[in-house]
Amino acid sequence: MESLKLPKDTMLGAAIVTITGNREAFIENYKGILEYTTESIVLQGKNARICFEGSGLSIDYYTNEDMKISGKIDALRYI
Amino acid sequence: MLHWIQYIRGYVAVKVWGYSVERLLNLCGNHDVLVWDIEDHGDYHTMHMSIAGFFALKPLLKKTGTRAAVIGKYGMPFFVSKMLGRKLFVAGLAGCILFWCLASRFIWDIRIEGNFALTEDVLMDYLEEQGIHTAMKKSALEIAELEQALREDYNLITWTSVQLRGTTLLIHIKENEMPVYDNRNKADSDKGMDLVAEKEGVVTYIITRSGVPQVACGDTVQKGDVLVSGAVPVYNEDTTVRRYQYVQADADITLSYARNLSLEEEIAYDEKCYTGESIEIPVVGTGEKEVAFRIRKVPYDFYDTSEEKKQVQLLDHLYLPVYYGKRTVQEYEIVPKMHTEEEMKTLLQGRWRKIIATLNEKGVQIAEKNVTIKKNEKKWVLHAHMQLEESAVKLTPTITPPVEENEEENTQTD
Repeated sequence: MESLKLPKDTMLGAAIVTITGNREAFIENYKGILEYTTESIVLQGKNARICFEGSGLSIDYYTNEDMKISGKIDALRYI
Repeated sequence: MLHWIQYIRGYVAVKVWGYSVERLLNLCGNHDVLVWDIEDHGDYHTMHMSIAGFFALKPLLKKTGTRAAVIGKYGMPFFVSKMLGRKLFVAGLAGCILFWCLASRFIWDIRIEGNFALTEDVLMDYLEEQGIHTAMKKSALEIAELEQALREDYNLITWTSVQLRGTTLLIHIKENEMPVYDNRNKADSDKGMDLVAEKEGVVTYIITRSGVPQVACGDTVQKGDVLVSGAVPVYNEDTTVRRYQYVQADADITLSYARNLSLEEEIAYDEKCYTGESIEIPVVGTGEKEVAFRIRKVPYDFYDTSEEKKQVQLLDHLYLPVYYGKRTVQEYEIVPKMHTEEEMKTLLQGRWRKIIATLNEKGVQIAEKNVTIKKNEKKWVLHAHMQLEESAVKLTPTITPPVEENEEENTQTD
């Protein structure tokens, strides 16, 4: 797979998380949302759950492909 | 950019509560319903979505056991329907714009600048004659023609500039600052002009530059007497007149004449005393017509009326043909009064000074004056005997004197 140079996200179905500072997160390639409060947002990826913890978290937009989270992010955990 | 698209297409703010809001979000994602600005408020969530998205939400709500309520509507589609509900407002707005467009096709104000000798009234009358007046169509105005006509019809105007600024017609003119040569008295070269006395008097000074003097210093002349003749005789050898050469008579002549003057001033007079009572009546008018907002008659016997009017101005140069203002009616009483001696003196002296000033202005010199004031109980009378000196002459066409024609001479010259 390495030699084919195919993008890993499409092949493995891995989620891509881009975090800018600790105020903004941009997530692609996820399956769905499991929990949403101002303190934590839990997303379902293909192999793992992604958990954002912080305060004043809100979803700027949410589509099937990608979403944007803003607020003060304290931790990002894979469960 | 995205905001503009959202605004044009319209969107709603929705409050969502119930069993699993997260599941609803997942379903929205799967059904291609774009949601944004999702906020958690503890008991409920708020989010924004498009109008179409909101309609697609219904089956999803049922599936997830959540409920939704619209808490705000934003964007063009809502604004337009709101405006359509206010028909009168929209009609008023449209009417206003229409009126504005129509009104701006006319001239509502004419301003003239740069005129000193020519009064504004004269020029306004002239413009009226040319068919230019307020409330005329802008398209009917020929700016270049008006500029030319102004220059041609008034010798005094040397430069003109006509501008339309908004609904105001601005006319700038420049007047000739050099004295205009008055050619009214210019003689016809073949006719000749005489200098004739305008008043009866004694000639005290005469210097002739052209023409034949008919009088000498010290001569008494009557009104209409020829002082300098414009017909210069050409003599034959035997001193008979052969023919006349006509010139324009020119001379400095001073005529001296006496003038009596009496000024009367009565001691008793009526004075206007304002009682302080006044009524202000609002007035609205357009053009010549005017409406005063008062039904009852003015309850005063004697009153002065003064009016203050303003033209309605929308913008700096956009005037409407509507005036508003107030008419003030002030009551007065007529009180009989007596002048004091001091007042009488100043009154008479004032009038006397004015007369002297007018004489001076006309170029009349006062050689001698003798003033007496007679007083009686009713009035004061100022008698003045003056000896005045003035160049009271005017040019008139020469009356052709008969030429003693001689048949023989004629044949000789031929």
